[in-house]
Amino acid sequence: MTNAEQKMRVKAPARFPWFESFLEGWSIFKQNLLGKIGLSLLVMFALMAICSYIPPLINPMYNPMTGVDPDILGCTGPSWKHWLGTDFMGRDILSQLLAGARVAFMVGVSAAVMSVALGTAVGMTAGYMGKFADTVLMRLADMIMVMPTLLVVLLLAAVFGQLNIWTIVLIIALFRWPGVSRIIRGQTLTLKQRPFVEAAKVAGASHMRIIFRHIMPNVLPLAFLFMTFRVTSAIITEAALAFLGFGDPGTVSWGMMLQWVWKTGNMFQAPYWLLPPGICISLITLSFYMLGRAMDEVLDPRLRKEDQTD
Amino acid sequence: MELRRYITGRLMQITLIFFVILTVLFLLFRLAPGDPVTRMVDPDMTQEDSDRLIAELGLDQPLGVQYVIYVKNFFMGRFGYSFHYGEPVVDIIWSRLPNTVLLFTTSIILSALVGIFLGKIASWHKGKKLDSFMTLGALVTHTLFLPWLALLLIWVFAYKLGWFPITGMISEEVWLDPESGFVAKALDVMYHMVLPLSTLFLIHFGAYLLIMRSSMLETLKEDYILTARAKGLEEKTIRNHHAAPNAALPVVTSIGLSLAFSINGGALTETVFTWPGIGRELVSAVSQNDYPLAQASFLLIAIVVLLSNLVVDVLYAYLDPRIRY
Repeated sequence: MTNAEQKMRVKAPARFPWFESFLEGWSIFKQNLLGKIGLSLLVMFALMAICSYIPPLINPMYNPMTGVDPDILGCTGPSWKHWLGTDFMGRDILSQLLAGARVAFMVGVSAAVMSVALGTAVGMTAGYMGKFADTVLMRLADMIMVMPTLLVVLLLAAVFGQLNIWTIVLIIALFRWPGVSRIIRGQTLTLKQRPFVEAAKVAGASHMRIIFRHIMPNVLPLAFLFMTFRVTSAIITEAALAFLGFGDPGTVSWGMMLQWVWKTGNMFQAPYWLLPPGICISLITLSFYMLGRAMDEVLDPRLRKEDQTD
Repeated sequence: MELRRYITGRLMQITLIFFVILTVLFLLFRLAPGDPVTRMVDPDMTQEDSDRLIAELGLDQPLGVQYVIYVKNFFMGRFGYSFHYGEPVVDIIWSRLPNTVLLFTTSIILSALVGIFLGKIASWHKGKKLDSFMTLGALVTHTLFLPWLALLLIWVFAYKLGWFPITGMISEEVWLDPESGFVAKALDVMYHMVLPLSTLFLIHFGAYLLIMRSSMLETLKEDYILTARAKGLEEKTIRNHHAAPNAALPVVTSIGLSLAFSINGGALTETVFTWPGIGRELVSAVSQNDYPLAQASFLLIAIVVLLSNLVVDVLYAYLDPRIRY
């Protein structure tokens, strides 16, 4: 039995159980230094994403994709007009960096929500149904788990041509659920043995009702934890794809910026261009990671072994 | 005997998985929108050559027959001709395989060994400054964006300091010189490998360190550690001979779990350093629409992943007899 469940069981009934357990978790979370650093960094990135709408409003030349400074047509260093300098076409690097934060959140969160939802559904089904369905679903999970997502997306890009950002997100989600489903399955297997599930069964609850009303609320915190790890892996995959030149040409992501600096041969001359996008990708990964570890401790300190590298 | 049965079982599973991948690839390349012939036959070929290739690959046959020919061709090593190089694909990927295996295995073994070693030390100093420093350092290096780290290393150590070559795997003057023997050539490759290896090492060792640290902390609570203490054994003996070997098992598991991640990293590293491996070949094949080469490189990478998984499983079963049920 995990700590989180223990807490759930001993806790007195409250009017807003979700809110209560949230407050309780928050008080544990607040003591965690890594968690606090991670959360502050994420707030900073969220602010960046929100601020990304401002520069194009001030002057069209600050548009991250199409805005070109008419006075500068090449790569220049930081100045008052362009705080982080301009890229090879005279576009403002700071506005690109801000737009990149927006893309990172969009890609990371949507891919994570999809893959965790899929993983939870598969995990609960496999764990609850058992037998044949379990074997088939888990073998499928094993198979997808060993596939390197980045290279799979590359191959699909080869067959289907240029992929847009939502296709990329969808593919990442479709290939990143097995880790989640394994954990959820394990959790479901133990929950299935509990008296309250037996009781529900005796009372005549349908399978659907048992899964959604009795099992799902108990695996959701765990699923939520995995969301943070999935966010980072989605952001990294998208960035790497863009870096290799297979990103969506219509979006300015940090990976895309790194590809530009690398491919245009400016990386030795323009540290003001090379450093910021890399620092941002690494920091956002780190902050989600720290947040995940902190939440891990809130939910269950013994869970930590699984899935840290991906 | 038990071990052999376990390995046979895993081998059969892996073969099955591989056939599924082979089939999915077949369907992907034949059923995707567009003409499959343009995907397998070089548009620049003469009519005669392309007719011969279409017959060889069975592209004029019904799908079922095509599949049989496809599987047969796979076992005969016939993957068609690369559009870009104009050579048989199989020759290209065979010549790239050793380079990938060299970089990949060296980086994994090195980062796992260092990770285990440092994780052991970190857990021994739990709560002290050294532990916090190592944990934070591991977190930070592990979450660095790999291609960016590679570019940074190139910028600092190859461009600014000029200690190492910027890209490539060999220097021509060494390899074309008939005087240079095996040692000189090996040293030259090692010299070129320093930066790519450091990139992969820096990204990977952190994860192993963190896993080793937490696993070691768990292990130290076990009864047999208490027994060892009660026997009056030295702390160092307990740590290195009683706790560490058991604590290292989850690291082995995590190597298996993170193989896909490592392969992605390997492909990125190879691309940035123009290391002539399969990962880089796949990336450039995709950007040049060189379909036969892309397909074959992907298949080979799938084989590498599956076989490495097998190696990790066998290693695990060997290290932990409890697994051989």
